[in-house]
Amino acid sequence: MFMTRSEYDRGVNTFSPEGRLFQVEYAIEAIKLGSTAIGVKTKDAVVLGVEKRLTSPLMESHSVEKLFEIDSHIGCAISGLTADARTIIEHARVQTQNHRFTYDEPQGIESTTQSICDLALRFGEGEDGEERIMSRPFGVALLIAGIDEHGPQLYHSEPSGTYFRYEAKAIGSGSEPAKSELVKEFHKDMTLEEAEVLILKVLRQVMEEKLDSKNVQLAKVTAEGGFHIYNDEEMADAVAREQQRMD
Amino acid sequence: TTTLAFRYQHGIVVCVDSRASAGPLIASQTVKKVIEINPYLLGTLAGGAADCQFWETVLGMECRLHQLRNKELISVSAASKILSNITYSYKGYGLSMGTMLAGTGKGGTALYYIDSDGTRLKGDLFSVGSGSTFAYGVLDSGYRWDLSKQEALYLAQRSIVAATHRDAYSGGSVNLYHIDENGWVFHGNFDVDSLIWEAKDNENSFAHIPR
Repeated sequence: MFMTRSEYDRGVNTFSPEGRLFQVEYAIEAIKLGSTAIGVKTKDAVVLGVEKRLTSPLMESHSVEKLFEIDSHIGCAISGLTADARTIIEHARVQTQNHRFTYDEPQGIESTTQSICDLALRFGEGEDGEERIMSRPFGVALLIAGIDEHGPQLYHSEPSGTYFRYEAKAIGSGSEPAKSELVKEFHKDMTLEEAEVLILKVLRQVMEEKLDSKNVQLAKVTAEGGFHIYNDEEMADAVAREQQRMD
Repeated sequence: TTTLAFRYQHGIVVCVDSRASAGPLIASQTVKKVIEINPYLLGTLAGGAADCQFWETVLGMECRLHQLRNKELISVSAASKILSNITYSYKGYGLSMGTMLAGTGKGGTALYYIDSDGTRLKGDLFSVGSGSTFAYGVLDSGYRWDLSKQEALYLAQRSIVAATHRDAYSGGSVNLYHIDENGWVFHGNFDVDSLIWEAKDNENSFAHIPR
């Protein structure tokens, strides 16, 4: 099996006889090594939470960035290769600004997600007229949170270029136990505060290190405030509320 | 067109007329000649309306991307450099714009003049457009750094009124803006027809105009 596979996992655009693209599958595997990221949608907001892996006690936690603003009404959490994410986010930022420039209105969440996924398949040979930007698939998955005329939305995009909409989703190394926890605990009429606590609770369960306000970060999207990444104070407050629930 | 902006102790005042002409025809008396690039930056419009509107919107996009990439507001200096680099790169292709960029950002409040030749000047007081000489006349005689906010707003408005009186290509109404560290605030739209009578009544200026 391994021998037949190795013949087809060289070329990024070559199907195996079973109809698989191994390099894309490997890229999806790479995300499972990344830090855990969770997104939860509520009636009028989306909350994102990420684990910040501090590989050394000397590392400054604010320099570990896993949450990014794309436009004032849309942002994302990443898991996988941070370097690849930067390429994607720069593309998404330019895309959303160009949309505003062309149409004088904010870009929709699905359409932004779509434009991110368009980029995901621009590896390999590259078609005529399309710029080839990568020699391999991206090694990063995104949880895209935003709000538009269709209300709050949460999307998950993968290196394969597919995307799906979720009410709650986890990606990264702790995603499997986190997903089953979300299936158990999520309900549609959750408040924003309950979503914050749920994300922190699940992160606490799946993280290797002990959770504190420095090694996790939250962000939210609301109609009033748009996309907002929590500052130190808001993080300390959210973690304190989660701990109160535990006691 | 008459547009003006000046820096003083409390910030920047930006004031413009609202007339658009096409040769001898008055095409509009209600043009918005101040372009609100973002909550911290204003651009004025003189010359080709389309050129100013288009490139200042492009500038707005670049400023927003700068803010997203660097997590801080762009400086007025950097923003004006983006615009002047654009106008210089199109030099000789027929662009027509004379614009002032006023705002606040990294480095505090600042005022720049940029035109379609690629000129970029930093300064405390500018007036641009066919009526600029008339506005400068009033502005230069009344301007001081330590003007109060009320005095500054009135001086700006009064300079535009003077220009609309003597320049056939300026008129309509006055749009007034004030800028400080927190960004710009719109201070109203005033018809020059009534402003000129107010000036005559209150300060005995325009004495040559019969009642």
